Amino acid sequence: MFRRALVLASLLLATLAADAKETVKIAFIGPLTGGVSANGLGGRNSADLAVRLRNADAGARYTYELTVLDDECKPNIGVQVATKAAADRKIVAGVTHYCSAVAMGTVDVYHRFGLPVIVWGAVLPDITYANDYKEIHRVNGTMINQNDVAAKFMVGLKYRKWAVIHDTTDYGKGHNKYFSEDIAKLGGTIVGTFGVSADQQDFNAELTKIKELKPEVIYFGGLTPIGVRIRSQMDKLGIKAVFQGTSGIVSDAFIEGLGPLAEGTLAFREGAPAEKLPGGKFFLEQYQKQGYSEGPEAYGAFAYAAANLIMDAIEKVGPDRRKVAAELRKTKNHQSIVGPVTFDDHGQNMVPLITKFVVQDGKWMVWEDSEYASGKRKLPRAP
Amino acid sequence: MSATPGRSSLPVAVAGVAACAAACWAFLEAESQWVVAALAAGVLAALPVLDRTGLRARFDAAVHARRALAPALVVTAAFALALVLRDSHFALLMLASVALYVTVCLGLTLQFGFAGIANFAGAAFFGIGCYSAAILAANTALPHLLAVLAGGLAAAAVGSVLILPILRTRGHYAALVTIAFGILFRTFLEVNDVLGGPQGLKVPGMRILGWSFNDPPPLPGGVEASFYLNYVIVAVALAAGAFVLVKRIESSWIGLSFDAVRLDETAAAVCGIDIARWKILAFVLGNFLAGTAGAVYAMMSGFIAPNSFTFGDSLILVSIVILGGVGNPLGVIPAALLLLILPEKLQAIQEYRFLIYAVLVILILLYRPQGLLPRRLREYSAPGPRP
Amino acid sequence: MDPAVAGQYVLNGLMLGMIYAMVAVGFTLFFGVLDVIKFSHGDVVMAGAFTALATLGGLSAGGVVSAAVLVVAATAVAVAAMALLGALIARTLILPLRNAPSLNTLLITLMLGLALREAVRLFYPNGSNPKPFPRLLPADAWSAGGFSLRADSAILLVAGLSAIVAVHLIIHRTRLGLAIRAVAQDPETARVMGVNFEAVVMITFGIGSALAALAGVGDALYYNEINFGMGLWLGVIGFSAAVVGGLGSLYGAILGGFLFAALQTVGAIWFAVPAYKDVFAFGAVILLMAWKPTGLIAEKSAERV
Repeated sequence: MFRRALVLASLLLATLAADAKETVKIAFIGPLTGGVSANGLGGRNSADLAVRLRNADAGARYTYELTVLDDECKPNIGVQVATKAAADRKIVAGVTHYCSAVAMGTVDVYHRFGLPVIVWGAVLPDITYANDYKEIHRVNGTMINQNDVAAKFMVGLKYRKWAVIHDTTDYGKGHNKYFSEDIAKLGGTIVGTFGVSADQQDFNAELTKIKELKPEVIYFGGLTPIGVRIRSQMDKLGIKAVFQGTSGIVSDAFIEGLGPLAEGTLAFREGAPAEKLPGGKFFLEQYQKQGYSEGPEAYGAFAYAAANLIMDAIEKVGPDRRKVAAELRKTKNHQSIVGPVTFDDHGQNMVPLITKFVVQDGKWMVWEDSEYASGKRKLPRAP
Repeated sequence: MSATPGRSSLPVAVAGVAACAAACWAFLEAESQWVVAALAAGVLAALPVLDRTGLRARFDAAVHARRALAPALVVTAAFALALVLRDSHFALLMLASVALYVTVCLGLTLQFGFAGIANFAGAAFFGIGCYSAAILAANTALPHLLAVLAGGLAAAAVGSVLILPILRTRGHYAALVTIAFGILFRTFLEVNDVLGGPQGLKVPGMRILGWSFNDPPPLPGGVEASFYLNYVIVAVALAAGAFVLVKRIESSWIGLSFDAVRLDETAAAVCGIDIARWKILAFVLGNFLAGTAGAVYAMMSGFIAPNSFTFGDSLILVSIVILGGVGNPLGVIPAALLLLILPEKLQAIQEYRFLIYAVLVILILLYRPQGLLPRRLREYSAPGPRP
Repeated sequence: MDPAVAGQYVLNGLMLGMIYAMVAVGFTLFFGVLDVIKFSHGDVVMAGAFTALATLGGLSAGGVVSAAVLVVAATAVAVAAMALLGALIARTLILPLRNAPSLNTLLITLMLGLALREAVRLFYPNGSNPKPFPRLLPADAWSAGGFSLRADSAILLVAGLSAIVAVHLIIHRTRLGLAIRAVAQDPETARVMGVNFEAVVMITFGIGSALAALAGVGDALYYNEINFGMGLWLGVIGFSAAVVGGLGSLYGAILGGFLFAALQTVGAIWFAVPAYKDVFAFGAVILLMAWKPTGLIAEKSAERV
């Protein structure tokens, strides 16, 4: 009798403890409105998914709540919402920013208020390397890694003549810089570089100029919307060069926007392809299951990984900003859905796993698995 | 209603300003979206009630009766608000931003409300102030107070290249000149790497006479406060200075000349008013105000990039002036509060917030087509409520 | 420069100019009858393109395969829907603000533009991403050296030109046009003479918006891609073109549209970094305004539309 009462009491206590789980807030910041909102919404959904899955896990010590803020991809608004999140003592850490200029402006805010954050999409190297703030981490690689791999790979395919089109945002300009440097080192030539504005619609003038220069490859540093426009206008002018992009066009929208014209487009992105890792497959299935109205896009997996890294750290050291920052900095070979994560002294993920993609039959295929790699299909060659 | 304004003016004015300050406090501190919605609805419903009962007219008259009263009260209210919110970083940041936007919009009121020059490049002039302060503060030992002044002067000077086309054009044509300039300015900043390009520039915090603005202010009694309190003080002082200046101009013969120029250039010229001189004065002075506000803003936010000075940002500034009631300097304050803080308060609805924001502004305009606080006609009789 | 390549630039510029001109004509019409700037005009262009895309989706699902039928039907639906939207905007947002300062109209239409843009982004399926627009026009190309003229470009040029000519004829040859011109010249007198002022304003906004829909569909067929933000720049450039040409003048708007396209094309060729082309084009606009303060074709009170 007595024993049964004891068991009952302990059971009761256990359920009480489960009910009394402390709620911990983490912030998500990204562009939810305006031009690049597709990526922001994908990241938001992915971080939200991570939080939901964790809350469904009975073994978790805390209940997590995601505070979502829109930075509009504008630095001044970014500083505003970063202050909002960082000044809110209930928020322990943040999954922050897709746009590089915004991240550049907000790192000081996070440092001042001591809020540990993991950048989930912005690729400018300076975000982690131009400071030694212990609060700032980044789970995705920088554009340096991306272009090193891209340049070597393309030269390996025996291409020698590039024309570069890049948007004049920090993203496009940075890609142009690192890619052009790499190509020069490897002995290729850039026959022309064209900086275009990020909301431009008509590229006929630039492309007509490029047509005269007869490049073998058009390298494009920019995001999906103008990538779609440029590729489609290339076709109208009868330019047969290879179209090589950056992480900014690795999206379903790029293929959907172009249809069959997307075939043979090359692009490079940090991280392992989600569908190839066991965790990634799980992520995609769960994402489907939640029924979000927008896809995860290219960087959703990073936001998911960042949110999980943060929650893992909180589980381990408790909801204390300083301890979480220190714990995050110690991250070594942490298995995530974008591959193993190891942060260096600057909080930068050091494992620059870059995946090469090619569009084949309306899908982004990992290059090694494609019929282009096996020689069954051929990329265009200059005559 | 015919009470002598002199005696009853003080309590009415104090009560009015205090009510506004309380509404601001509630608005800034409200977190739940329902509270925000209720507050916004309450404020909007209060406007016609105040109009009907004549309370607003009494308030206006009270403010009118003693010229120094309104700015003094508003400044006191702002500081009281800042002290109440002293340790809430975000609310103070928003308060300082509002004060700086009010300063810019007072400049625009001078240009557009008084002299009739529509300026759609407000964000560009604000940006010139930001960039000059950023460069001066980071690379020279120039005292920061002078850097702020230099920001204003730079904006005024760069704006001068537009004087010729501004003088020759009117109305929508002049608007296009400024639109073109605003777009040109932003594109240039982004494409050209000399001023940091798209990556932007870091700006050191403000420091005046050894008073470092990025450290918490030493309040008596060891009360803890956010460092943003420093910026609120400077921003509110700047806005108050601008307000007094603009009000003085309005009630002087300069303001009268502005009105003449705006309403009928031909008639003004016939009366011997030098149109060019007044237009240049309004334009240059307005840009100066925008530039100084920009300089303070740059040091406060610590980072600037071309993306913060787009055509869309200029439109927000123009929207504040229009929503406030064109030509009424006092109207700029509630309009700036509404247009800056509303989107922030709508963060809870995430991606839907701009849709709701746009719909709300449309409704306000349909409801009050003249703006929140329309400008009143000049009165030359003894000030007081009309019979 | 190789004459064939030069020819290509000219053709590109003409296509671009045609789209700009169609948008600018709308601005000039609205200004003509009511002295207002309608800043949501660019977003009406976008909404027209999306209406056409949705119609195409519906028709294809219904089993229609003929490209000609699809193009005509989608265009017709888009034009009709936008004409209605234009009239509705005039009725609910523009006319009620007629007695307020004219810039208040600017603010309300600005917000309407934002609302339209955000609504398409949020409620059109996957609307925050660019959408492909089917290639429905024949793509046969005639090329010589660096020059290639495609059938679709030629069709679009001719269609755009005829639309503008049609608007011109409506305004100058019909009774409706007479009423529009009367209102443009003097609303009060027109009203006294028995012109239904409000109806004329609504019809004018309908015509301008129909033209915007046409510009949207043309743009979509030419670039084969549309997105919710496409109207933003088109609106600004269309407005600039209308003002440079001289507000209230139909020819001015057309001239302004082509001029703007020419400036951008020349800028893109000249500068090592083509993004400077907007600095160049808008800089030229400022100079033009200093030289011709009321636009290239100056407004005459007797002929505002």
